Amino acid sequence: MADLAPPVRPVPASERWLAAYVGLIVLFLALPVLIVVPLAFSSDVSLTFPPRGVSLRWFSNIWARPEFLSAFGLSAAVAVVATAISMVAGVLAAIAFVRHAFPGRDALLMLFMTPLVFPAIVLAAALALVMTPLGLLRSFWGLALAHVVLTLPYILRTAVATLTEIDRSYAEAAHTLGADRWQAFRHVTLPMLRPGLLAGATFALIISFDEFTVSMFLVGPGVMTLPLEMYNYSEFTLDPTLAAISTVLLVLTSIAILVIEKLVGLGKQFGG
Amino acid sequence: MAASSQPSSDAVGVDLRAVRKWYGPVQAVRDVSLAIRPGEIVSLLGPSGCGKTTTLRMIAGLEHPDAGEIRIGGALVNAVAPWKRNIGMVFQNYALFPHMSVAENVAFGLAMRREGRAAIDAKVAAAMAQVRLAPLADRRPSQLSGGQRQRVALARAIVTRPSVLLLDEPLAALDRKLREQMQVEIKQLQREVGITTVFVTHDQEEALTLSDRIVVMEEGRVVQTGTPSEVYERPRSRFVSDFIGFTNAVRGRVEAVEAGTATVAMGSGQTIRVPAEADIAPAQAVDLVVRPEKVEVDPPEAARPGRTLIAGTLRHSVYTGAVTYHHVDIGGGETLIAMTPNGDGHAGPPALGSPVTLGVRPENMLVFARAG
Ligand SMILES: Nc1ncnc2c1ncn2[C@@H]1O[C@H](COP(=O)(O)OP(=O)(O)OP(=O)(O)O)[C@@H](O)[C@H]1O
Ligand SMILES: [Mg+2]
Repeated sequence: MADLAPPVRPVPASERWLAAYVGLIVLFLALPVLIVVPLAFSSDVSLTFPPRGVSLRWFSNIWARPEFLSAFGLSAAVAVVATAISMVAGVLAAIAFVRHAFPGRDALLMLFMTPLVFPAIVLAAALALVMTPLGLLRSFWGLALAHVVLTLPYILRTAVATLTEIDRSYAEAAHTLGADRWQAFRHVTLPMLRPGLLAGATFALIISFDEFTVSMFLVGPGVMTLPLEMYNYSEFTLDPTLAAISTVLLVLTSIAILVIEKLVGLGKQFGG
Repeated sequence: MAASSQPSSDAVGVDLRAVRKWYGPVQAVRDVSLAIRPGEIVSLLGPSGCGKTTTLRMIAGLEHPDAGEIRIGGALVNAVAPWKRNIGMVFQNYALFPHMSVAENVAFGLAMRREGRAAIDAKVAAAMAQVRLAPLADRRPSQLSGGQRQRVALARAIVTRPSVLLLDEPLAALDRKLREQMQVEIKQLQREVGITTVFVTHDQEEALTLSDRIVVMEEGRVVQTGTPSEVYERPRSRFVSDFIGFTNAVRGRVEAVEAGTATVAMGSGQTIRVPAEADIAPAQAVDLVVRPEKVEVDPPEAARPGRTLIAGTLRHSVYTGAVTYHHVDIGGGETLIAMTPNGDGHAGPPALGSPVTLGVRPENMLVFARAG
């Protein structure tokens, strides 16, 4: 319908410059990531750009090497377990921090957040030292718990921020309508927290899946994460297999983000 | 005493006995005692910070009293959680659940009581019809106007048939016209369902319009409880008379007290005789308080014998449509304001600057000891 078309307005020169500037920045940020995609389909044995031919051999190489598949499985399992534990702990902690006053609250919140700013290497060494006597070194649960330390701050931060925005009168209204603490949390506070929690969980999953420094101190034979498996591989062979894996991860991450966006978006419309 | 709403058979009373609440060093509520009768609509009225919300929240169970007893239907509820008190509450910000539709909001309390789907649907539909919201059932709260949100909050609070309905300034966010309309609707609804209702407001007009009885609070205390006409006509303190409606206050000094009648000298030297309470003693500094509509300007000779008469000079008249306010200088730097209706048959006001005589029935002139 013609009458709905926005009025045509001449674009001033300053805006065109701004658009070009923003475009350049986006290109600068995205280029290194996008360059792995053509490399993954290269037929060359070495990492040359632009590739001279197209092939899927590097993708089949992933399948041919069971260590990549098991590392992927372990990384995914660690990420999911660590995120799940962080979610439960983070939401409970956020309720305590936001809804209750207790001595040392601010100091404790800061302490929970320290993994965000601490050098990862310090944390890595400390965790390795703690886990050795506990027999958790080179074990799935050792790795998962270490990742909880790393992912908890992200969940806690988004949960605290979201919960602070939710007026306490919503839960109180639920109480006056007959909802006990759990029902008020389950039916009122949690659904209102959901968008923030999903964002935090996405972050946590990516942080954990991507983690390198801390994992390096805690992995061992049979307990190897994907980033470390890729690193090990690159020490001996530098071929487009790594680009192929990266491409797979890129696609998976994009799908995950789209799905979550869709869920949160739908949630806003239908309260799902 | 004004007629109470017809209590429904299951209406219960609410009793507060010497209830106190501290927030750290702040004593928000001091020794509040109240007896709210079954089916009654009572408003808690007072200035900001006087403890109205705190009192209401203690009845709801959202705050715990530090001392005293709260009873609902005779049962002590001090240690009873809010979700077990069978109350309905309307919050000042309405607190409608943003992730639920209007119908889901209204259904929430019934769902928490584990009622069946069919029963819930029927009750929700009835409650929505009662507040004229039926066409909006599927909307989100964010898609409603302020008045509609207010109605949803009300429907959500009453659909569970609570024993007590608590409202915390539910109309404060609405514009004047809508507010007056909602006052009438709330009162009608409250009469229909006969729920014992406690209503917080700092709007004295709202309290006068809505209440069977008004509880006036000041600094955490109840300073007067009575029907709207009692607190308006017979305020027990300067504070109450100032807070409810407009009032004149003239300084004076008691010259003599005999048989419940005080002779008070005003600044101008004029003396008047007024009925006095026991706490009025000779030589006491007092305030003489009278409502403008109780002051007549130049009453007819025949009516004068029974009146307290005060001589003055008309300084100016303010016409406001239905009524006119006459500012009369009564000497000694004091002014009395008289209100006269502008109906037919009223002579025009006397000329400005002309001497006038003001007449007040003695029982309409209140005397309060002045502190300090
Ligand atoms: N959670 C709280 N923590 C500390 N002090 C509080 C709290 N709630 C209320 N107070 C204090 O208690 C006193 C009474 O507050 P309350 O909210 O009951 O007043 P109110 O009569 O409802 O006032 P308003 O008309 O402004 O809503 C005030 O001095 C207030 O500052
Ligand atoms: Mg209040």
